[in-house]
Amino acid sequence: MGGYLGVVLLDQVSKRYGRGPWVLRDLTLEVSGLTVLTGANGTGKSTLLKIAAGVLKPTSGRVSRPASVGYVPERFPSDVKMSASSYLAHMGRVRRAGANDVLERLGFVGSMTAPMSELSKGNAQKVALAQAFLATDVLVLDEPWSGLDPRASDELVALLEGRTALVSDHEGHLASATRVDLAGGHVTIELSRVLEPDVLQALEGVRSVQARGSSVRVVVAPDRSDQVLAEALRLGCSVRSVR
Amino acid sequence: MISLVRYLAADVLRGQRYLAPLLVFLGVMGMLFSADAGQPLEAYSGSSALLYPIAAWMAVVVATSEDVVRREITVVSAGGWSRVLTAAALVAVLFALVLAVLASVWPVVTNPHPYTAGDFFVGLAAHTGCALLGVGVGLLFARPVLDSIGRTVLAVFAVVVLTYPLGRATPLGWVLDALGHNRVSLSLLGTVVVGLALVSAAVVAGVRRA
Repeated sequence: MGGYLGVVLLDQVSKRYGRGPWVLRDLTLEVSGLTVLTGANGTGKSTLLKIAAGVLKPTSGRVSRPASVGYVPERFPSDVKMSASSYLAHMGRVRRAGANDVLERLGFVGSMTAPMSELSKGNAQKVALAQAFLATDVLVLDEPWSGLDPRASDELVALLEGRTALVSDHEGHLASATRVDLAGGHVTIELSRVLEPDVLQALEGVRSVQARGSSVRVVVAPDRSDQVLAEALRLGCSVRSVR
Repeated sequence: MISLVRYLAADVLRGQRYLAPLLVFLGVMGMLFSADAGQPLEAYSGSSALLYPIAAWMAVVVATSEDVVRREITVVSAGGWSRVLTAAALVAVLFALVLAVLASVWPVVTNPHPYTAGDFFVGLAAHTGCALLGVGVGLLFARPVLDSIGRTVLAVFAVVVLTYPLGRATPLGWVLDALGHNRVSLSLLGTVVVGLALVSAAVVAGVRRA
C-alpha cells in the first residue's frame, strides 16, 4: 500500500500488548483531512494515535504515512531540563525545518531559556504543540487542548484549519471535523463495479473508501451501514461482503 | 543524524546523570595511578577493567536520558526508532571513547615508567575495546529492550560481575590477559570488533523490541 502526501492510511490494523486483550481489531481508517477520534477511556484512542504516528507497530495490518509527521502525546513530561528555545531549535534541526510562530499564536508567556521543568502545564503543552507544528504533512495530537486556556484553545482550532490531522478530542473543539468513534466499532463493506467512489466518500458515516484491485472497501459507522449499503446498490454497485 | 546526535548529547549533558559514572571513573583512576602502577601495558589493565562497567553505566544513562514520552516525540520527529537508537548508540560510543582516550593518556602523565607511542596506541585499542563492550552490554539491557530501570540495573550488574571470573573466555579477558602479561596481542583488535558487533546487536534488539 503506497502512501501519498498528507494522508495516513491504516489498513486492517489490530493491536494487543503482549498476550493481553485486543486494544484494536481490524481497524481501517483513512486520514486525509481533519479527523477526530472519540470514545470512552480505554477504547484505544492513544494506541491508535501512536500507531498512526509511528511510535508503535501494529500487531497486524499495515500503516502508510507521509514523511513529516508531528506528534503530541497525551501528557508532555514535566521534568525536562532543557529550555524551550533549545528544545525547539534541536527539534527544528532534526526535522530540517525552520521556526514557526505557533508559540506566539498560542500565547506562550513563560521563559524560553529556563528549564522546561519550570514551565506551567499549559506553557509546556504549547511547547509540545510548537514542536509538532514543525511537521509539514500530518499532525497526530492526543488531547492537545489539555492544559490550554480558552484563548489558546481557540487559536489551536484555527491553527488546525486546513491541516491533515488525527486528533483525540473529548471536548468537541472540532465540530466540523470527520469523527471516528472507536467505541462504536465499524462495518467494512466490499463493493465491486463502483463508478462513483467520491459519492460514497461523501455519504454520512463513511470513514474511508479504498480501491483494492477491482473492488472498493468502504468502512462505515455501524449505525449508518444500512443507508450506505442502500445508496451503493442504488449507484449500481455489487456487494461482495459485509463484515 | 548529526543533529539527532547533537540533541541527544545535549540532553544527556543537561540531565547531569552522567556525573555519577564520570566521578566514579575519575576517583578510581586517581587511586589506580596514585603510586607506581607498574610497566606501561600492565598499568593499562586496571583502567581497562574499570572502563568496562563505567561505559556500561554511561550507556544506560544515555539510553534512558529522555523519558518514555519525550522519546516517542523524538522517534516521530526523527522518522523512526532505528534512527533514534542508532544516534543514541553513537552518543554512548562517543562518551565512552572520550573516557578511553582519558584513560590512555592518564598513566602517560602520572606513571613513572616511560611510555612509547606504541604503548599508548596499544592502550588506546585496549580501552576502546573494553569501552565498546561496556556500551554494548549497557544498551542491550536498557530501554527499549528492558522497560524497567530496575531490571536494567540488575541485568547490567549481573553481566558485568559475571564477566570478570570467566577470564579468557570473554573478550574482556583477552584484553586483561594480554595487558597483564605486558604483551601486545591481536586479541585487542578482536575485542574492538566484538564490541562493535555487540553495540550493533543492541541497536537491532532495540528496534525489534520498540
